[in-house]
Amino acid sequence: MINITINGLAVSVENGSTILEAARFLGFPIPTLCHHEGLTPYGACRLCVVEIGEGPGARLVSSCTYPVEEGLKVRTASERVVRARRMIIELLLASCPQSKVIQDLASAHGVRTQRFKQEYEDCVLCGLCVRMCSEQMMAGAIGFRGRGEERSIGTPFDVQSEVCRFCGGCMHVCPACQLRCTYNQPEKAVCNACANLAPPCIEKEQYGDMMCYMNPCVACEIK
Amino acid sequence: MEKFDSINGFHEFRSRLLKQFDPKVPTLVISAGTCGQASGANAVIRAAKRELLRKGPACGVRLRITGCHGFCAMEPSVLLEPRRTFYPKVSPDDIAAIIDAAERGDIVERLLYVHPETGARIEKQDDMPFFQGQARTIIGRNEKIDPIRIRDYILNDGYLALARVLEDQNPGRIVEEVTASGLRGRGGAGFPTGRKWGLFASQRNVSGKYLICNADEGDPGAYMDRSVLEGNPHSIIEGMTVGAFATGATEGIIYIRTEYPLAIKHLKIALEQAREMGLLGKNILGTGFSFDISIVKGAGAFVCGEETALIRSIEGRMGEPKQRPPFPIVKGLYGKPTMINNVETWANIPIIVAQGSRRFAETGTEGNSGTKIFSLVGKIRNTGLVEVPMGMTLNQVVRDIGGGIPGKRKIKAVQTGGPAGGCIPASKFGLPISYESLKAAGSIMGSGGMIVMDDSTCMIDVARYFMAFLKDESCGKCFTCRKGTQRLHELLEDIIQGRGTPEHLNLLEELGETVRDTTMCALGQSAANPVLSTLRYFREEYERHIEDKRCDAFVCKQLTGAPCQAACPVDTEPWRYIAMIEKGDYEEAYRVIRSANPFPAVSSRVCDRKCESRCSLGAGGGEGVAIRALKRFVTDRVDPSVYRPEKAQDKGRKVAVIGAGPAGITAAHQLSLLGYKVTIFEAENIPGGMLTCSLPAYRLPRDIVEKEIETLMNENISIEYGRALGRDMTIQDLMSDGYEAVFLAMGAHESWRLGLENEEVEGIFPSIEFLKEFNMRGIELARGHVGIVGGGNSAVDAARVALRQKEVTGVTLFYRRTRDEMPAYEEEIEAALEEGVRIETLISPVKIHVRQEEIEAAIREGVELETLVSPIKIHAREGRLTGIECVRNRLGEVDATGRRTPVPIPGSEFSVDLDTLIVAIGERPSSRALASMGLELDKGGRVKADRKILETSIKGVFAGGDLVTGPNTVIDAVASGKKAALVIDRYLSGRPLVEPAKPKLPEVYIEPAVHEESGEAPPRAVPASLPASERVKNFREVESALTEEQALTESRRCLRCDLAFTMEKQAGAAIGGVRHD
Repeated sequence: MINITINGLAVSVENGSTILEAARFLGFPIPTLCHHEGLTPYGACRLCVVEIGEGPGARLVSSCTYPVEEGLKVRTASERVVRARRMIIELLLASCPQSKVIQDLASAHGVRTQRFKQEYEDCVLCGLCVRMCSEQMMAGAIGFRGRGEERSIGTPFDVQSEVCRFCGGCMHVCPACQLRCTYNQPEKAVCNACANLAPPCIEKEQYGDMMCYMNPCVACEIK
Repeated sequence: MEKFDSINGFHEFRSRLLKQFDPKVPTLVISAGTCGQASGANAVIRAAKRELLRKGPACGVRLRITGCHGFCAMEPSVLLEPRRTFYPKVSPDDIAAIIDAAERGDIVERLLYVHPETGARIEKQDDMPFFQGQARTIIGRNEKIDPIRIRDYILNDGYLALARVLEDQNPGRIVEEVTASGLRGRGGAGFPTGRKWGLFASQRNVSGKYLICNADEGDPGAYMDRSVLEGNPHSIIEGMTVGAFATGATEGIIYIRTEYPLAIKHLKIALEQAREMGLLGKNILGTGFSFDISIVKGAGAFVCGEETALIRSIEGRMGEPKQRPPFPIVKGLYGKPTMINNVETWANIPIIVAQGSRRFAETGTEGNSGTKIFSLVGKIRNTGLVEVPMGMTLNQVVRDIGGGIPGKRKIKAVQTGGPAGGCIPASKFGLPISYESLKAAGSIMGSGGMIVMDDSTCMIDVARYFMAFLKDESCGKCFTCRKGTQRLHELLEDIIQGRGTPEHLNLLEELGETVRDTTMCALGQSAANPVLSTLRYFREEYERHIEDKRCDAFVCKQLTGAPCQAACPVDTEPWRYIAMIEKGDYEEAYRVIRSANPFPAVSSRVCDRKCESRCSLGAGGGEGVAIRALKRFVTDRVDPSVYRPEKAQDKGRKVAVIGAGPAGITAAHQLSLLGYKVTIFEAENIPGGMLTCSLPAYRLPRDIVEKEIETLMNENISIEYGRALGRDMTIQDLMSDGYEAVFLAMGAHESWRLGLENEEVEGIFPSIEFLKEFNMRGIELARGHVGIVGGGNSAVDAARVALRQKEVTGVTLFYRRTRDEMPAYEEEIEAALEEGVRIETLISPVKIHVRQEEIEAAIREGVELETLVSPIKIHAREGRLTGIECVRNRLGEVDATGRRTPVPIPGSEFSVDLDTLIVAIGERPSSRALASMGLELDKGGRVKADRKILETSIKGVFAGGDLVTGPNTVIDAVASGKKAALVIDRYLSGRPLVEPAKPKLPEVYIEPAVHEESGEAPPRAVPASLPASERVKNFREVESALTEEQALTESRRCLRCDLAFTMEKQAGAAIGGVRHD
C-alpha cells in the first residue's frame, strides 16, 4: 500500500494504481473523456489533470496515467486545475459542440460560451476507438495517422480493413459519435460496422428508421 | 588497419603516430561541413588537390579536410596551420596563391580577414573578434581532425580517455568525475548528467541496458550537433563507450535525423574504423569489455527529439511521448533501462575524463560549468557556431562575438531555444547565459539556437511563425497541445490580419498558460513560450496591432498596405502620385499630395522621408524610389491653385492656436476648412516657426515657406504676431475671450546647456539662438574657429550656417558617439563634410564606419569630423571664449535608446582653441510659464498630451508638435496639426475623441503602366545639386528638382505595392479622383 494525500485527506491506496483510480475510489470526481475502464490509460484529453506537489514545484499531470507514489500530494479541484479544465472544455466546445458528452461536460463545469472560432469536427482524437479495437476486440483495424493538425484516425492508407469484424465497438465508445455514425454514407465510415450491424440507437423506438439520415445523428447522442 | 588487443598496443600505436607527425609542416585546413560545402568548399578542395598534385611530392604543404570550424559567415574558409592564418571566403582561384605563400612560409595579405569596424586586416584566427571571446573546447577540435581518419583523432588525444578508464577499471569513479564536473544535459533541460549516470548505473541489468545519443536536432536555426557529428564523430563514440563502461550499458544507439546525410556518413565510417581497431564492439582493447553502437535514422518528426517519443520511434512505433514516470532510466527502450544524452553532452565526456572534473568546472559559473555551443543566426554579422563559457552575457555573445547587426538597424531581440523557446528583448542582454536565467526570462536554453532579430522584425509575426511550426510538429496526442497550438496560431493570425481585439490578448494568455500547464511532454509544455514571452516583453507591439491596427515593423501586410503610405505620418499616398507622374498627370499628382499634406513644397525639401526608408524596392538591399525628389518635381511645376479644398459651412465657433509653425498652421488651416474661426497667436513677427527660424535657406528657401503659408490662409484664419502665451496672455484669458478650444504648438525653442563652468561667457551660443539671430535678423554671431557640440540636425545646420558666415575660418563638429549614432540625416552630414566642416590637425584619425569611400574622399579634401569626444571644460579669457577641453570616449553598453553609451577614457583629455562655440545638444520647450497655467509637464519640460487625442491635462486644451515630442521633424509636426484639427472638431461637436482605428490600405485602383523592360534596371534618380565650392558662403538652394525625364524614369521604378490591395476591386473602378478628407 502507498500513502498519499488527496485534497488534504491522508489515504493509503494500492500500489500500481493511478491517481484517477485512487481519487475515484475515494469519491473525488474527476472528469474524463479519453478514459475508459477496461482500456489502457492514454492521457490524451487532459481533462483529468490534477495538481501534484507543492509550492513552485507544483504541476498539473493527467491523473489517468500518473501512478501513485509514496508521499504524493494531490489536489483534484484546486483553482489551477479548475481553470485549466474549463479552458479544455472551452476548446472542446469550440471544436465539437454537437457532442452530447461534451455538452454535458460543459454544463457540469459551468462553461456556457466559448470564445474561439466555431468548428464542427467529428472527432476529438481521444483514441478510445483505437484502444477498443486493439485491446478489447483484438483487431487493431484502426489507428492514428499523421501528427499535429494532420492527425486522424482510420485504417492504414484508408483501405478498408481486412481484420475489422464490424463489431461496432469503436462506435460504442466514441464520445463524439460522428465519424463512425454515417449510416447514410457507409463508404465514409471507418470500419463500416454501422452499415452491417444494428447499432444501439436503433433500439430507441421514437427514431424509427429516420435516424440513419439525420446529420448529425441525434440518436447516438442520447444514450 | 591495425587492431589493438591490449591497451598498451593502443598506446604504442599512438606514440608511433605522434613521432611520425611533424606539426611544423604547413597545412591547409579546409572546413567542409555541410555548411562549408554549401558555400563552395568542395570547389576549393578540388582546386587545392589539383594544385598539390601539380606540384608533386616535393611540395611541402599538407591538406586536411575537416568539419565545420564555426564561422559560417566566412565560409568557405581556409586555415593555415601551424601559423593559424585565417583566409575567409576563399575562391578556388585563390588557392594557388595561398599554397605558394604557405610553401614559402608566407601569407597572402590581400585575402586576409578585414575587421568590419577598423578596416584593419587580421592574420591569425585567434585575433579575430569572432574567435576571441570563445572557449572552443569542443568545436575547436574540429579543425584538427579529418573526420574520416581515425588516426587524426587518435593523434589529438582521441580514445585516450577510453584507454584511461579501461586501465583504471573503476566505473564508479567515472560517474563521480562526471558528477563533480557539474556537466548538465546540453539537450536543453539541463538535468545534471552525473546524477543521471548515477541513477542509470544503479539500475539492474536484467537483459540489457541501452545508451542513446540524441542527435535528432530539429530546431530551426540550430546545427551545433550536426557540426560535432560531422566534424568529430569519434568524440561521440568515445564518450558513449566511456559512458557504457561507467554505467554498465550493453548497447548504444545514435538516433540521428535523416536530414543529416553527411553526419550519418561520417558516423558510419567512424563506427567501422573504431570496430576495426578494436575500440568498439566485443572485447574492447582486449579488456573483455564489450559495447557496440548502432545508428537509427529519424524520419523527420520534431517531437522525436523528446526522449519518450524518441524511444517509441526506435521501437518502430509512432513517435509520441509517454507519461513519465516511469522514466526511461527505469523503463525505456523495449522496457529496459535506457539513458539518453544529447550529442554535445557526449562530446563533453572525453574532455572531462581527459582533463579531470576540476579543470572542467573551472570554465563557466557555479552550477553552470563548461562551455555551450550556440548557433548564432538571423540578423547578425558573424553568423556561425560559437562556443562560449556558460555565464557569458547575451551582449557579449551577440555584440562582441557576433559583431552586432549589419547595417544601421537596431537589435530588437534574440530568440533562444528553438521554436519552443522565447524572445529576449535587447534591454535584457545583460543577462548571463545559464539554464536558470534563460528560464526566468521566459525562454529556455534548448539546444542552443540563437536567432537575432532587428527592428524590421514583427514579434507577432515571429510568434506566429513558431506557432505554425509547432502546430504542425505537435504529435497531436494531448488535446491541449494539438488544439491549443492551432488556436494560438489562429488568434495570432487574426491579430496579423487586423481582426484583433483586446479579448484576443486575454485569450492568448489564458490559453498559453493552459497549454503550458496541461500538456504531457516538454514540447507541449514549452509550446506556448513564443506567445507568452513575446506577450511579456512586447505587449505594446501587440496592442499597437490591435488598437491602432499598425505593424511598426511593416511586416504584417494587412496592417501595412503600401509601405510608403503606412510610413507617412500625414497619410500621403506616394504610390498614387508616383503613378500619376508616370501617366504624366502632374496636376492630379499634386492634388494627391496636397490632399494629405498642406505643406507639399516644404515637405518636398526637408521631409525626413520615412516613406523612402520603408520602400519595398529598398528593403532587399536595393535603393528605394526617390519619393521626395518626385514630390519636389511635382510641387515645383504645378501651381498650388489646382487644389481647391472643400470648405464646410461656417460654424461661427472660435478656436485659438498658439504658434504659427507647421503644426499650428496646419491645425488652423484644417479647422478653418471645417468652418471654425481660428486665431493664431505667434510670438515672433513672421509665421513659419522652425521652418523660418531654424531651417537654413540653402535647404528651404524663404520664399517657398512664405508662398506655401499664404496658400493656407483664408478668411477664417487671423494671425496675431508678437503675442506669446504666458507673457501676453494665459490659457484662461483665451477661454474667457470666447475661444472654445486651444491648440498649443509653440515648439521647442530652448537649447539644453552643457552644464559646464564658464558657459555664460561671450562666444558661446545655443544653436537655436544662433540660427534664429541669423535666419530672422541676419545677424552673424560666429567668427574665427567655430566649434559645434552635438550630433543632431540642429548641430549640422548650425555647422553649415556657420561655415557660410563671413568671419568664420573653420568649423569643427564634436560628437560624443560615433558617426553611426548621429541622429542628423546622413545626407546633411555628408553635405557638411563636403562643404568643409573641419577640425585642427593635431587630432587623431577620424573613426568612421559607414560609406567609407565618401568619407575618405572628404578627408582627402581636408574635411574632418570629430566623434567620440565630449567637452569637459571651457576656457575663457577676459570674459571671452578661448577654447574647450574635450575628453575622448569609447562606446560602452547599450542604453535605453538602443545606442551604445559613450564612456570617457581617463587621461585622454585634450584642448581645442575656439572663437565660437555653438551648443546643439538638443532643445526643449520654453515651458516655465505653462506649468503655472495648470498644464502638466514631463521631466524634459514637454507638455504631457495623450498620444492619440493630444488632449492635455486641461479640458479643451490640446497640444502637439515639438512642444509635446521635443525636437522632431516637420512632417511629424504637420501630422500632429492635422490630428489636432480632427480631434478638436470631434471635441467641439461632442463626438467621442477616439475613433476605432482602421488600417491605412490603398483604396484607389490605378492601372499599372506597361512599358518595355530595358535590360538593366535604372538606378535611383539623384537630383542635381550645387558643387560644394559654389555653395559655401552663400545661401542658394543646394538641391534642384529632377528633370522631367529623370522623374519619369524614377516613377517607373515604383513596384506599385498598392496593386496587391486594389487589383481585386479594379472592376468598375475608374482612375479615381482625390478623396477630400
